[in-house]
Amino acid sequence: MTREVSSSIEKLSKIEYKERAFKWWGPSPDEARKIQVSKPKELKDKRTTLKDAVKNLITNGQNLGLGGFVNTRVPIAIVHEIIRQGARDLTLSLQSNSMACELLAGAMILDKTRVSIKRVELAWWAYEVIGLAPLLRYLAANGMVELDDYTNYGMAARFKAGAMGVPFMPTRDHGGTDMELVNRGTMIECPFTGRNVYLVPACHPDVGLIHVQAADKYGNCRIFGPLCTCPEIAMASTYTIVTAEEIIPEESLRTYPNLTEIPFVAVDAVVTQPYGAYPGATYGFYWFGMEHMKMFRGICEEFRVTGRKDKLKEYYDRYIYGCETFDHFLAKISSKELREVKELDGNRPIIL
Amino acid sequence: MGDIAYKKEELMVIEASKHINDGEIVFTGIGLPVVAVTLAQKTHAPNVTVVVESGVVGPQLKLAPLSIADSKIMRRAARLGSLREVLACILQRGMVDVGFIGGAQIDQYANLNSTVIGDYYKPKVRFPGSGGANPIASHAKRLLIITPHQKRRFVKKCDYITSPGYIDGPYGRKNAGLRMWNPSITVITDLCVMDIDSASGKLQLAKLMPDVTIEQVVENTSFELIIPPKVDVVDLPTETELNLIRKEIDPEGIYFSNKQN
Repeated sequence: MTREVSSSIEKLSKIEYKERAFKWWGPSPDEARKIQVSKPKELKDKRTTLKDAVKNLITNGQNLGLGGFVNTRVPIAIVHEIIRQGARDLTLSLQSNSMACELLAGAMILDKTRVSIKRVELAWWAYEVIGLAPLLRYLAANGMVELDDYTNYGMAARFKAGAMGVPFMPTRDHGGTDMELVNRGTMIECPFTGRNVYLVPACHPDVGLIHVQAADKYGNCRIFGPLCTCPEIAMASTYTIVTAEEIIPEESLRTYPNLTEIPFVAVDAVVTQPYGAYPGATYGFYWFGMEHMKMFRGICEEFRVTGRKDKLKEYYDRYIYGCETFDHFLAKISSKELREVKELDGNRPIIL
Repeated sequence: MGDIAYKKEELMVIEASKHINDGEIVFTGIGLPVVAVTLAQKTHAPNVTVVVESGVVGPQLKLAPLSIADSKIMRRAARLGSLREVLACILQRGMVDVGFIGGAQIDQYANLNSTVIGDYYKPKVRFPGSGGANPIASHAKRLLIITPHQKRRFVKKCDYITSPGYIDGPYGRKNAGLRMWNPSITVITDLCVMDIDSASGKLQLAKLMPDVTIEQVVENTSFELIIPPKVDVVDLPTETELNLIRKEIDPEGIYFSNKQN
């Protein structure tokens, strides 16, 4: 993209700015709108199984929008099913995440003819206090994946632009940093204030992957705890798969419509999936499965350091490929562990 | 006083807490920053409001949380909203007084790198990326950076700039389109406290940690640090401060290594 204005970053940076033609990494705003206009949106029972939802909606080459934030309400059950069924040349778009992307990255490292990530548009990818993300480090160090770095506000603004049907959003951050040189946003002189402002392109995932506490059979979703960017991702995506800890009666939902954070028009498939974010947390239901997360990260880190894939393969064979559904995966986690993470959440108050 | 044993990190957190005033809005992440804010609330600044990027506004923190999306950081919050809401409608809108950030590298203009070591396109180490660090650095009135003091961290040039300090001088931020042109920036390390020299936009030595010399600071800093004629020494921690950290805020010692000073 040709840039008219910039900060002084080019003079400072170790990175040489390369001019590149701008490309959408998923549907363009016009394409996204066209799909939205033509697809059926009527109020109907959208309950299905994860197997069918993934079979019907996920294809090679798609941009997948990962909901949740770091490891809260992350779409782990959906990611397991995508790995089982396989999907290649994916673009991932996300705020801040670890487990969901690392699981896809691990599947790619084991067999890239089955699962592969081509590009990631993101703000942050790691495990917070537990440490860096070993598989992101591996993919990045080996130049195996193209990264498009924004701020957390930048990604939130991009999903919001998609959700609103506008092609970009102006932001007052990113400026003066290397993100100006490496990402697909651009700086312009604001036509109203005359000052520099940084524009980020809308993000329209082909499919949004969202886990919530409760939904009705039509896909109206209630979210408790932080909303993260889930409503925006669901509304920006051309299709959205929702897993819910519980399906609640329509009557209950319609009694408190203010609690509906994602309306049914933005949802295409609804799946009941208890512990659907495990080992991530779901406010009101369960806390992080720290031990499982540390175990998986440890296996990934060992692969990164030694290059040996045997333990990684064992993990996937046991917990994903060796399971027919996510419930089978949960059956392999001790009931003590599942009870403990429930207790650690401390019964955060929610309304079902 | 002088014989109370304390960990370097504890003193860094205590010093950071003193830079937070009562009534302020503080944007924080996990780790030492959240301990510093909670300490400020339990001592001189009971009416500090915490904002966390996952969408949390005004929680009543009790224990140190493990994640910014940890339900512990949401305890008795005034509002649980979205990232966009807190990052745009509170932070970008101009409501935040103090923001905490960090990084693997920091240069003389307090620009921070939390993205890569080495070449961006084939990095030796890939770090998480910006997350909320860049928005906090772009918008807060005052920035607090708590970091270990090592030569490889205090670099001449960052491999990548993730979060803006003064960019390349006193007008760097203005030219970059940032609204907060001249934030106060305070860097608190195990060796010293630094702040910004407003004329040059560069870091200057402000205070030394107890028993640290200027030479030690200079030796461990790769860029040329401005040394003013008068440099104060950071106060030693009090028993009350240490007890609050050890017994109430982080009783499990999640955030403090076992190294003693």
